[in-house]
Amino acid sequence: MNNLNSLQYFLPELFLSASILIIIIVDLLLKKDKKIITAYLSVLAVLVAFFLAYRQYNYAFTSLFEGMIVLDSFAVYFKVLTALSTIIVIFISMPAFRRHSEYYILLLVVTLGMFLMVEVNDLLMIIIAMEMVGIISYVLAGFNKFNMKSNEASLKYVLYGAASTGVMAFGFSYIYGLTGHTNLFAIQQAIVGHSLQPLPVFIAFVMVVAGLGYKIAMVPFHFWVPDVYEGAPTPITAFLSVGPKAAGIALFIRFLITVVAHPASQTTFIQNVQIQAPLLLAVLAVVTMTLGNVSALGQKNIKRMLGYSAIAHVGYMMMALVVFNTRGFTAIMFYMVVYMFMNFGAFWVVQSMTPHLGSEDISAYKGLGYRHPLTAVAMAVFMLSLTGIPPFAGFIGKVYLFAAIIKQNWYTLAVIGVINGVISLYYYAYVIKVMFLDRDEEIKAISVPLYDRVLLWLLLIPVLALGVYWGPLIDLAHNSIGFFFGN
Amino acid sequence: MIQLESYLIISAIVFVLGIFTILYKKNAVGILMGVELILNSVNLNFIAFARYIDTYINGQLVAIFIIILAASEAAVALAIILNMYRDRRSVDVTKMDEMKN
Amino acid sequence: MIKLALFIWLLPLAAFVINILIGKRLPRKGDWLSVGAIGISFILSLIMLYRVLVDYDPNFLVQGSVPWIDLGVLKLNMGLYLDNLAVIIVTAVSTVSFLVHVYSIGYMEGDPLYNRFFAYLSLFSFSMLGLVMWDNLFGIYMMWELVGICSYLLIGFYFTKDSAANAGKKAFIVNRVGDFGFLIGLLIVISTVGSFNLTTIHQAVGQGVLHGGLLTAAGILLFAGAVGKSAQFPLHVWLPDAMEGPTPVSALIHAATMVAAGVYLMARLNFMLTFDAMLVVAYVGGFTSLFAATIAITQNDIKRVLAYSTISQLGYMIMAMGVGAYVAGFFHLVTHAMFKAGLFLGSGSVIHAMHHSMEKTGIHGDPNDMRQMGGFRKKMPYTHITFVIFSLALSGIPFFSGFLSKDAILGGTLAFAMSQSNPIHYLLPTFGFVAAIITAFYMFRLIINTFYGKPKNESLFKHIHESPKVMTIPLMALAFLSLYFIYTIPSISPAGPEGGWFTHLIERPISAVATQLGHPVLFIPEHTEHAAHVNGMLISIIFALTGILLAYLFYYWKKIDVEKFTQRIKPLYALSFNKYYMDELYQATVVSGLLLWNQMLAWFDLHVIDGIVNGSAWVVRNFSFMDGWIDKYIVDGLVNLVANMTLAFGKSVRKIETGQIQNYILGAVLGAFFIIILTMI
Repeated sequence: MNNLNSLQYFLPELFLSASILIIIIVDLLLKKDKKIITAYLSVLAVLVAFFLAYRQYNYAFTSLFEGMIVLDSFAVYFKVLTALSTIIVIFISMPAFRRHSEYYILLLVVTLGMFLMVEVNDLLMIIIAMEMVGIISYVLAGFNKFNMKSNEASLKYVLYGAASTGVMAFGFSYIYGLTGHTNLFAIQQAIVGHSLQPLPVFIAFVMVVAGLGYKIAMVPFHFWVPDVYEGAPTPITAFLSVGPKAAGIALFIRFLITVVAHPASQTTFIQNVQIQAPLLLAVLAVVTMTLGNVSALGQKNIKRMLGYSAIAHVGYMMMALVVFNTRGFTAIMFYMVVYMFMNFGAFWVVQSMTPHLGSEDISAYKGLGYRHPLTAVAMAVFMLSLTGIPPFAGFIGKVYLFAAIIKQNWYTLAVIGVINGVISLYYYAYVIKVMFLDRDEEIKAISVPLYDRVLLWLLLIPVLALGVYWGPLIDLAHNSIGFFFGN
Repeated sequence: MIQLESYLIISAIVFVLGIFTILYKKNAVGILMGVELILNSVNLNFIAFARYIDTYINGQLVAIFIIILAASEAAVALAIILNMYRDRRSVDVTKMDEMKN
Repeated sequence: MIKLALFIWLLPLAAFVINILIGKRLPRKGDWLSVGAIGISFILSLIMLYRVLVDYDPNFLVQGSVPWIDLGVLKLNMGLYLDNLAVIIVTAVSTVSFLVHVYSIGYMEGDPLYNRFFAYLSLFSFSMLGLVMWDNLFGIYMMWELVGICSYLLIGFYFTKDSAANAGKKAFIVNRVGDFGFLIGLLIVISTVGSFNLTTIHQAVGQGVLHGGLLTAAGILLFAGAVGKSAQFPLHVWLPDAMEGPTPVSALIHAATMVAAGVYLMARLNFMLTFDAMLVVAYVGGFTSLFAATIAITQNDIKRVLAYSTISQLGYMIMAMGVGAYVAGFFHLVTHAMFKAGLFLGSGSVIHAMHHSMEKTGIHGDPNDMRQMGGFRKKMPYTHITFVIFSLALSGIPFFSGFLSKDAILGGTLAFAMSQSNPIHYLLPTFGFVAAIITAFYMFRLIINTFYGKPKNESLFKHIHESPKVMTIPLMALAFLSLYFIYTIPSISPAGPEGGWFTHLIERPISAVATQLGHPVLFIPEHTEHAAHVNGMLISIIFALTGILLAYLFYYWKKIDVEKFTQRIKPLYALSFNKYYMDELYQATVVSGLLLWNQMLAWFDLHVIDGIVNGSAWVVRNFSFMDGWIDKYIVDGLVNLVANMTLAFGKSVRKIETGQIQNYILGAVLGAFFIIILTMI
């Protein structure tokens, strides 16, 4: 479709762009103590974008802007998801960032970047979208300018990120050179049509995986994760672990499907370039989750612990990537939503409790079960859900992930996944133990504002509800992925 | 006439140099320059391929965009490095290990 | 209809969620929310009942479901099953619940946890309504546990009181026993039938998928759940203690609705009971009815008398289910819900008055104790009159609802005995009739001790006042619902429910077991049934009147000296007064055993968890304590070893996070090379 006609299908992004500009102008007119208004406006903007994106759900597959961008239900699913994550993050940030209107504007820009990331279909657009998300994320990670840790996190993030995207771009350049195209579909045709040298293709492929793997925190490209997660402001940590990661996974899946997979065989990887991609992905998944889980053991800082746990969860999701079929992708997409709620919940507890506890150390949570039971119980639910214990949503998510790989006889992988689940129980349960079994002599009750509690419930309810009733969501995920496999 | 291979060899050398710069410079700004090297090797590749392989000019377009991206990335990175310098009076990345393990 | 039912069901849930979250901040602490929600549910349920009455079709059935869980092998639907039975019980539940909500506004006034109380009541209403409307056993089981949870929460509502907290625990533990049976029964059903859906189970049993001994076992195991929830012998011990909860709770949960869930379950599953299973049900019910009645005679705590009376009446209903008097049993469930809720609310009114009087006079004592009461008739006229009406209904005196249903049960039991060749089954009607005398006796003992005679404590008596309108109006409403004609319309004959809407709408479902066997599970000829009903009615009226007469002889006219009489039958009296030492028996055997087990488990937990956290140092430190537990050491040691190894592994793996950004990038580069090499070879 040509550029002019494409605009009508580009409404959510156009709207977001317009609202970013408007909010910047509005921000100039606001007094210093009224800056919070920009936060509300941002919520409104993302909400509208959310609905605009959702309205596109039933559109037929469309190729926009001369093939630079594709609009399909898969993209819409992730657009809705990332928009939702931005909304939640704005709410999480509001108590802490009351005077920083630029913070919310930056979040909106990231959202726009994520929207693009999930619907790109061209090497150029991939680079632009990823940089759009990346550059803003560097700034956000260092948003607490006078905090040493925040600075350090930001610097590490920017250096690591810049290097990774550079490597990825180099990989793209080889892919372009080998196929003569930047459009993903055309690249696929070219790979299938010509017999290419396997070595350059493969090196290019690994370089691209390095860039994408950095985005989704996959081992061995995960090194930045713990430091950045620990140093960044808590809301941003929460955001990085959900929004950009979801977009990254969407991009990863899209890249795998359109470039690596053979269009004729819809269930397995291409064999014309001799890559044992499933096995490679399986090994990476195992390494990712194991490394994430064992490193999380014995962590003292709760954000760092959650950072490592985020790596582990990427490992779980990659497990289902291995089987490369509808079932696996559905499981990942479902898990991403579940993970969003439980992870945001855990980070929200950290964010709302840190001022009361005075520290982000796990030991500071000692006796929280007696000091503010609701928060502690909610945290326990999030921890158990992250572990994957019924009847919480995390369990259902894991069930689908494991079901997908067991269906394709990846038993060893499943067993390793379960062992990892057991390992993760150690450190998640440790938080619960600290909160409930350890207690001080005198109990200093914490009074939590209504806003905090309401938000806590809003995050807790989906974790509980999706644990007992998840049918519609799984159907939605299933329908969204259906297009790729022609059903 | 210069062959495509020459460009590729040059760009590969620049790329490797960039990687090594990143790995061995202690100065944060130096590392940033390494990143620029990598991006320039990418540009070189894209332009060379566009000239020799592609019937269109897609590669050159990509290169232009990457130049812009590199600039904005450098701007942000320099701002962050400045911020770091204000706090620690140093841009030595080996001293930034407050967070580890 | 389905939408209507959904509203009825979900409104209380909404009220619960809002109330538990922000109830404290709402005006009036949010009681209007709960009351409003259940009030609307009540009105909607009346609309639903009205529609059913307009239809006037015994086979009325509306079903609707949405897919819920789909794990490939196991497919579960979430759906509602609305037949006449469900509609009537929904109406009954929402009626009582609504009245109790209203009553609680007065009763719980000024309680520090006022909003939470209403939140719990709402949650309970939601779960109870769900329990009776859900179309599959799994959902019923979930709601079953949920009503249980509400019950424990509300029994232990005054959790600062040790006895209340303990009563909550006791209810929980005792119910676990029954629910365990329920669960096994469910597993049998799912493993043979492959579905929890009631209709599917009905068909499957009819086709003989589940048959013979296993079917009997499934029936009896599912009945075990009912035994726990409906407080049947031998799991009845929790219900009297449950009276530690606030009185409105006793009325709603422990008299009218939740405890009747067991009966409801037996009614729903009546189609799959074999003859043997039915016998078990009938005898457990029959024995409980007599057993509990004999305990009720000697109790002095006004609520405990009512609690034992509830157990006894539940026994009647269960017995009715067992002897095939399905309609009668269910009928008694509904009538009993009304008048027993009334009795509890009435007693609550008395206790409320006593409580306030004690506060004013500064006397410390038990406001529930009948020995402190007497002569309240003049001070509390509304409570008195309604209380008498409820008692008459409970005793089975004509013109009141209890007469109709109780007589139907007794008649049904007698018919069952007459139709069986084995004369031993005459035990069942005997249980019933003797229990009927005793019921009338203890109820009037209660009334005379509370409302008549001279005040036993003058100073307390002075400050006794009638309760506020918000409490007496629900009483009057319930009293009205205890009159016979409510249930016999359009007929107005006080002799029996035949010809009334109730018996028209409720029919015994076709037994799937009979379909499977090809002959009825139990056959009761028409003329036997008729004869039994006429005889039963006469006997039960005479017995009830005898009971009342005896009560008057003992306590009002004092023709028989109570003291002397109890002296003469002292061993029997002591036996009844001490509830047949059931609590002590359980204490000595089950409870202490359980506690021991719990301690063992707690010990195990403590040490294993600590062991994981503290590592192997724990093993070394505790070595000397653990003679003879070598096995455990090895097991624990292994666990700790693995844990420690994992921890150590984690520690060394974490070393790669050096904090140096260049090392990170190097790591990524090496990782990429590693990937390339790994795949190329």
